[in-house]
Amino acid sequence: MTTTQEQEQEQAKVTMKDLKASDPRWCTGCGDYTILVGVRKLMVNNQLQPHNTVNVSGIGCSGRMPHYMNTYGIHSLHGRSIPFATGVVLGRPDLNVFIHSGDGDSLSIGGNHLLHGISKNMNCVYILFDNQIYGLTKQQTSPTTRKGLPTQTQPGGSMMDPINPITFALGLGASFVASTAEWMGKHFVETIDAAFKHKGFSFVHVAQRCPKFNPAAWDYQNAGWMEFLTHETGVSVEDRLAAQGKQVEHDPSDLESAFARAKDVPNVFGLFYKEDKPTYDGIIRERLENAPKKDPSKILDGYLI
Amino acid sequence: MTQKHVMRFEVIMDAGNGAQKAGDILIKTLAKSGRYVFIEPIIPAEISPPKRTPHSMSGAIIRVADFEISNIGSSTDLMLFEHEILLDRRLEDRDYEQNSIVLLDLAEEKRAKDAYATAIKKAKDLGLNVFTFHMDDDSLAHIKGLNGNGKNMYYMGMLASIYKISKEEMVAAIRSTFKKLSEEKLTKNIAIFENGYKNVSEILSDTFEIASAKENLTGEKILLDGNTSLSLGIIDSGFKLFAGYPITPASTIMHTLARQFASYGGIVHQAEDEIAAMGTVVGSYYAGVPALTATSGPGLSLKQEIIGFSMVAEVPSVIIDVQRGGPSTGLPTRTEQTDLFAAAFGTHGDGGKVVISVATVEDCFYAPHVARYLAEKLRAPVFILSDYLLSASYKVFDKMKTYQLDDVNDISDEILDRFYINRLPDTIEMVKDNQATPGELEKMRRVTGLNTDKTGNIVYTSDSNQRSHDVRNEKIHHVRRALKTPEIIGDTEGDLLVVAWGSTRGVLDEAINLARKEGLKVSGLHLKIVYPLPLMLKEVFSKFKKVTTVEAAYGDPLKVTPLATMLRSETLIDVTNGLATASGRPLKPKMVLAKIKDLV
Repeated sequence: MTTTQEQEQEQAKVTMKDLKASDPRWCTGCGDYTILVGVRKLMVNNQLQPHNTVNVSGIGCSGRMPHYMNTYGIHSLHGRSIPFATGVVLGRPDLNVFIHSGDGDSLSIGGNHLLHGISKNMNCVYILFDNQIYGLTKQQTSPTTRKGLPTQTQPGGSMMDPINPITFALGLGASFVASTAEWMGKHFVETIDAAFKHKGFSFVHVAQRCPKFNPAAWDYQNAGWMEFLTHETGVSVEDRLAAQGKQVEHDPSDLESAFARAKDVPNVFGLFYKEDKPTYDGIIRERLENAPKKDPSKILDGYLI
Repeated sequence: MTQKHVMRFEVIMDAGNGAQKAGDILIKTLAKSGRYVFIEPIIPAEISPPKRTPHSMSGAIIRVADFEISNIGSSTDLMLFEHEILLDRRLEDRDYEQNSIVLLDLAEEKRAKDAYATAIKKAKDLGLNVFTFHMDDDSLAHIKGLNGNGKNMYYMGMLASIYKISKEEMVAAIRSTFKKLSEEKLTKNIAIFENGYKNVSEILSDTFEIASAKENLTGEKILLDGNTSLSLGIIDSGFKLFAGYPITPASTIMHTLARQFASYGGIVHQAEDEIAAMGTVVGSYYAGVPALTATSGPGLSLKQEIIGFSMVAEVPSVIIDVQRGGPSTGLPTRTEQTDLFAAAFGTHGDGGKVVISVATVEDCFYAPHVARYLAEKLRAPVFILSDYLLSASYKVFDKMKTYQLDDVNDISDEILDRFYINRLPDTIEMVKDNQATPGELEKMRRVTGLNTDKTGNIVYTSDSNQRSHDVRNEKIHHVRRALKTPEIIGDTEGDLLVVAWGSTRGVLDEAINLARKEGLKVSGLHLKIVYPLPLMLKEVFSKFKKVTTVEAAYGDPLKVTPLATMLRSETLIDVTNGLATASGRPLKPKMVLAKIKDLV
């Protein structure tokens, strides 16, 4: 995304408090709280005006985000955040658009839309809240649930290997692909900041805790299992985490290396890939501007016999 | 030469051989000379089905009159066939009368002697007058030189001669239609046309003529089909974004807009699926950009979830549904009026939507204005129901007035009158007070499909849900109260009232007028806005001994058709489904007339 900061400098300074809306109703310990705070921080850091910002979501715990952000918002339907956001992006290129979507919302019911949102490269930040489970419907196997995890729908253990969201995005030619974790505050904010500043569909995978239905999904108290992608053009890692985890130098412009690193997802964090590509909304705007203007009062003249 | 007031003829060829083009040229020329014309194309659902098969049937049915006509009529007086398989197939539609004329090209007879003999015998046994012909050698040589193209020129020549259409004007029309062809090819085509024109008298000595209607010779005339008219109406009514997914027979709306919309500041978004198209419409409208979608059959089923969202979130949306034969994928290129319930009640849960229908190609141009007006005033989904018949039927008529609608409150009374509705109140209560558009300071409107209170916050209390229903239903009641007495054809009392909606208006009008000429006390009532229904309907119905409907839908004594069901439930009057046909073909005035006689 690019900003409309110039015109907004005149306006009131945005503070964390300004961005509070109704009180969240998530469970205690839910990772969505830290995502909420992180997105607010991004807005404050970049002084994004709330009235020019639209948070769009689907259904699920992640779907509640727009209600808790004091910006404009669409809490849409299960899996459909991208179609709704497409309408906003196409109609109003002046707005900042953030999409919030869970693992089931993104990769199951909304899979087709995600496929096309990525390949159309429309200008927005897409945050995939990955807790590897269906939360709001109470613990069913999701597309990213690890094989073997017993759930309400697959009590004998989840049957299939999880979908790799990073490989999925890379395979579709995404122009921005990153992975972070909500409990790594600085890494998270820096990642969505880079995503926001990228023009195109910025795909951010976020490891998110679900203490209620899938507490073992992410070991947030240790970083020993984590692999961090490091590069001068990438996202920096906090020293504390870097000391524990593994650091791998990876150039985000190297697609082949990105695919290779993605094999170890969901244990890999950082900026996988970034490339400047034409955006769908940009192309549409350009064609609109270049179209020969016609007199609307003569619209029927071409059909005279 | 026989002078006639109305007649109908058709040219039927294998798909891809130019029958549609021939139809276009014939009706343009007829219309320019002051005749009233109506054309129904016959189009296969497949693209290029193998030639010389029944699936390849393609053609143009043309009705001409010296008075204003509103439908394709009951039967064809003269049919011209490229070969015997098409004759055999077309007879199955039973669109002929005793003594209708069949002209059959014998070009393929050598390789199908038996089939020709069988088809000709079948036609003769049905009482048709069959005339066979061969094209002359000169024409065949030209056709060979044109790689097999040009047969349609010969047939056009035959028809122009039989129907006394000016040869010079036809040649001029051919030249203007094919102006991109090289002069050499054009000359060959015209030579074939002229041969057909000259030779036809050797096989058929009858000629017919429809007089020009003087009043129809003045003013500018346009040729439009229903879908093109809808597309242009979308532009004139101020929409700025169209999102759609390819589906027959709605796709041509997207095609027309894709070529033209950008020149008027509009965006066409080809979505990844029907659901996405609907979501983008709502997203766009939420962001303050008027948007709509067009779909058909299965596409309507897919959109339902988001249509419900549009209603609850109070984000306007407009959905055009070009009805085709159903259920399921059904008949993609045949007509039906069976999506009434799916439109009015389709999404889960109970909530009102407005359903506008279109009766004519002219209505198609203005329906988007009304739909946008209602959608934005109510902040709710509004349907425009067209159908295959109207989408593909062409008509020549007086050039319409354009409006370039911007603010919906400026909608013209003339347009509202056309749809028998008054203006809505200036302010209409919404479930949520905040209806701001992104960019407005400090409003921060957030929408959801969940129940909310006035503030827009999610609330599950019993009172608040009841209130949301009250407010949403009151919006629909505003429309109910604004609806005027619908169009009544004939007297306001009598023995029988026949009710129709949408594209069957033309058939209704013609049948009622025929019945009244025979002295029957019968009237017609036509609904443009078909949900909600106007409040005085019961009163109107009660002035008639019987009330029945005409619908392109299935009905039998135990299964009531959609419109009749709706009328019964809203008026508690014993409305029967008098004429219900789900053949995929247009209803015929004569069928309706026969039914009227049964019922009176």
